[in-house]
Amino acid sequence: MSFLSLAAFWFAVSLPVVVLFYLLKRKRKVRLVSSVLLWQRFLNESRANAPFQKLKRSMLLLLQLLLLALAVLALARPYFADYSLGGALQVLVIDASASMQATDVSPSRFAAAQASALQLVDGLQDSDKMVIVLAGARTLVVQSPTSEKAVLRRTIEGLQVSDAPTRLLEGLQLAETLVKDHASSEIHLLSDGAVSDLGEFADSEMKLVFHEIGQGSDNIGVASLDVRLNPDDRSSQVVFASVVNFSTNDYRFPVELWLDDRMLEARVVDLEKGGTASQVFVAQQPTNGVFTFRIEAEDQLAIDNEAYVVSLLPQPAEVLLYSPGNAFLERALRTSGTVNLQQTSDPTVAADEFDLVVLDGLIPQEWPEANLLAFNVVHTNWFAGWERADAPAVVDWKSAHPLLRFVGFDEVLISEAWSIATPFWAESLVESAQFPLIVAGEQEGLRRVWIGFDVLNSTWPLRVSFPIFVANAVQWLNPSMTSGHQLTTRIGETLRLSVDPNAESVTLERPGGQSEEWPITAGSSSLMFGDTAKQGVYRWGTGTNQVRFAVNLLDAAESDINPRATLNLAGGRLVEATESLRADLELWRWFALAAIVVLMGEWWYYHKRTA
Amino acid sequence: MGQELLDSDLLRRLERLQLLSQRWSKGALRGERRSRNRGYSVEFADYRNYVAGDDLRYLDWNLYGRLDRLFLRLYEEDRELPVTIFLDASESMTFGEPSKFRFAKQVAAAIGHVVLCGSDRVSVRVFPEPKDHHRLSLINVRSRHSSLRLLQNLSELQGGGQSDLNEELRKGAIESPHAGMAVVLSDFLSPTGYEAGIKALMARGFQIMAVSVWSAEEFQPTSYGDLKFVDAETGAMQEVSFGKFRLRRYQAAATAYVARLAEFCRRRGVAFWSVSSATSLEDLLLKQMRQLEFWR
Repeated sequence: MSFLSLAAFWFAVSLPVVVLFYLLKRKRKVRLVSSVLLWQRFLNESRANAPFQKLKRSMLLLLQLLLLALAVLALARPYFADYSLGGALQVLVIDASASMQATDVSPSRFAAAQASALQLVDGLQDSDKMVIVLAGARTLVVQSPTSEKAVLRRTIEGLQVSDAPTRLLEGLQLAETLVKDHASSEIHLLSDGAVSDLGEFADSEMKLVFHEIGQGSDNIGVASLDVRLNPDDRSSQVVFASVVNFSTNDYRFPVELWLDDRMLEARVVDLEKGGTASQVFVAQQPTNGVFTFRIEAEDQLAIDNEAYVVSLLPQPAEVLLYSPGNAFLERALRTSGTVNLQQTSDPTVAADEFDLVVLDGLIPQEWPEANLLAFNVVHTNWFAGWERADAPAVVDWKSAHPLLRFVGFDEVLISEAWSIATPFWAESLVESAQFPLIVAGEQEGLRRVWIGFDVLNSTWPLRVSFPIFVANAVQWLNPSMTSGHQLTTRIGETLRLSVDPNAESVTLERPGGQSEEWPITAGSSSLMFGDTAKQGVYRWGTGTNQVRFAVNLLDAAESDINPRATLNLAGGRLVEATESLRADLELWRWFALAAIVVLMGEWWYYHKRTA
Repeated sequence: MGQELLDSDLLRRLERLQLLSQRWSKGALRGERRSRNRGYSVEFADYRNYVAGDDLRYLDWNLYGRLDRLFLRLYEEDRELPVTIFLDASESMTFGEPSKFRFAKQVAAAIGHVVLCGSDRVSVRVFPEPKDHHRLSLINVRSRHSSLRLLQNLSELQGGGQSDLNEELRKGAIESPHAGMAVVLSDFLSPTGYEAGIKALMARGFQIMAVSVWSAEEFQPTSYGDLKFVDAETGAMQEVSFGKFRLRRYQAAATAYVARLAEFCRRRGVAFWSVSSATSLEDLLLKQMRQLEFWR
């Protein structure tokens, strides 16, 4: 045990003062009685009954000395150094991800983390400073370095947990930069460890203390949710959902599918521990709407029991195909949703009034001012130079891009392709070993998708991925139809929203119901919206022109709330959870409390004798 | 003045009572109580050989006719019962409401009246000794005609001063020419104790009755806080911090003191009463003392 304020022991001088008071004679009321014999008997018996006969006389003195000693000890602020908080700069990284909302520790993991953080603040020595980093939807330094404990406490008590997936990597990197210039520093991570991305963390020799929060793993979560036009019946939609049981128990629970405020279907799902259940619903959708998939289970994390997907009814797209004749492409275009397709092999035809122009080895004389899907064409508008390359092998593709949803390039062989360098406006989606095969991007406000080979000289049209790619491309390129997929995103991700260029402001209504007005720069046609920290359905628009978009957690790593005892860092380094989280435990409160108890005891004892 | 101590109605009722002595009377003068002494009453006791000079009136002539020897008939002699009342008049007895001393005087007067009405002799030994003429007029009082004077003398007694109960009882035991009945009226709050005095009386052959008189204040103190008690009799001081929480402990200690006294008396065959000075006199004299067969 050590003391923070040794100077407080000067107060111990008051102890002899109390003794001095006892040396002074007490003024007593004098009473004449018939005989003091009975009083003497009474006093003798009282003494005989007391366990400490000699001390009995000065019991009050002892109580008062004890009281003072406790008060002095409290003032000296003793503490137990369970482990050293000797660093001059402490960085507190608090995980505010969705899994910290779990209620396996009462009231929640985040509240437990806050309590632990307050303990760490208590243990802070006067010369130390502390920084608080909140790793939520965004990583924020919520408190710059300070040694003011009151400020730190207030900051910690005011923290809010987010709905976002864990972003500890950013938090730790930020913490690392904060401690870089300090000789003596420590990083304290308060988290449940439900994080997967720390493998990239280039760990230096910094001192990282991991405080594990949480103890349960009882959770069922929605892992994915998607909606598609029913390929068998184009008047209906198919909703896919998958549910994962992360707990150690088998579960039986109802699931529900809602379209806006209307429940479409409810069913009961049996799911063994660790299992995944895929659910497929076929639903009639008369208007644009939001599908809500809901699990009615009493688990420890509520946020992942719901997911939303925006579903818009398909709009017919006007498509012009310049092609010498390609049955595969035509067929794929016709089946890719509602498309009014016109085909021409005449390059002099002007492509006005079309939503989407497809070039299949042909370049029209007048360059079309529309979104383009180009097969096997090269143009100086796009590329600086090109040459032919034989039999490029597909080595990689970005399956996360919306164009490549459900598209794979296994067993796709290409006999010949254009070798180009990826232009600045595009990103490469499919690559051979040396050059990109498919690029996509936005140039001067128009979208382009470029395929660098003739599909007829490849096996691609024979693969199931080809029509899906074409369908994806039509969706992505169709400007009149913002796909439902574009209106469904993950928490913390950025969303591009189109706005009316004439509008001066837009209204945003958040899931909680609060709405706010945002001004718009005149003439802008789209807006990037990044404040998606809260799960739910947002409403956005000007006047009656309302658009809804959905923000989901849909993160299996976050739903798996089983706390990890170790963190895997790069280079195989493991950070184990600190066994007991007891920062320098200040004890003065206990001494002060004991002093108050003794004070009350003394009062009681005195009145018992003289009342 | 006598009427102040005991009212006439009570006196009349007391006159009907008769003191019960459990022992043979040892008085010097003839009275109305059986004694071991041989004398001239109607109760035959024994024979003895005639010696010259005996009163011829008591010779048994029938026996002489049969045996041709002279025998003298002996009869029991009735003697008086000397009753000594030890009345504690020390300073401590003057406390209480009503005062313990006044109550003790009333009891002494009642007993004295009963004794005198029964043709016995009563002595009231007051200690500490009164300074004036009362001492003589309270000793060896006989005949019921003297009763009024006894009551009057008693009522004029004033309490005060310091006394040693042991010493007074011992002195009384030695000075009494004949052992009889001893009544001790005191609060038994003597610093030196009471045991030696009572033992001395017993050794002298007294039949003893002890009446311990208490005031309510002694069992129910009304002063609280940091106190300094001064003993009115001895001047001794005692500092006490006293509160309501400790009242029960104090009462237990006081009760234990009386219980010890009662136990001491019971083991030695001493009749014992513990009474408060606020007790009804009639209740004590006409009920309690009759029930315990002090008189009937």
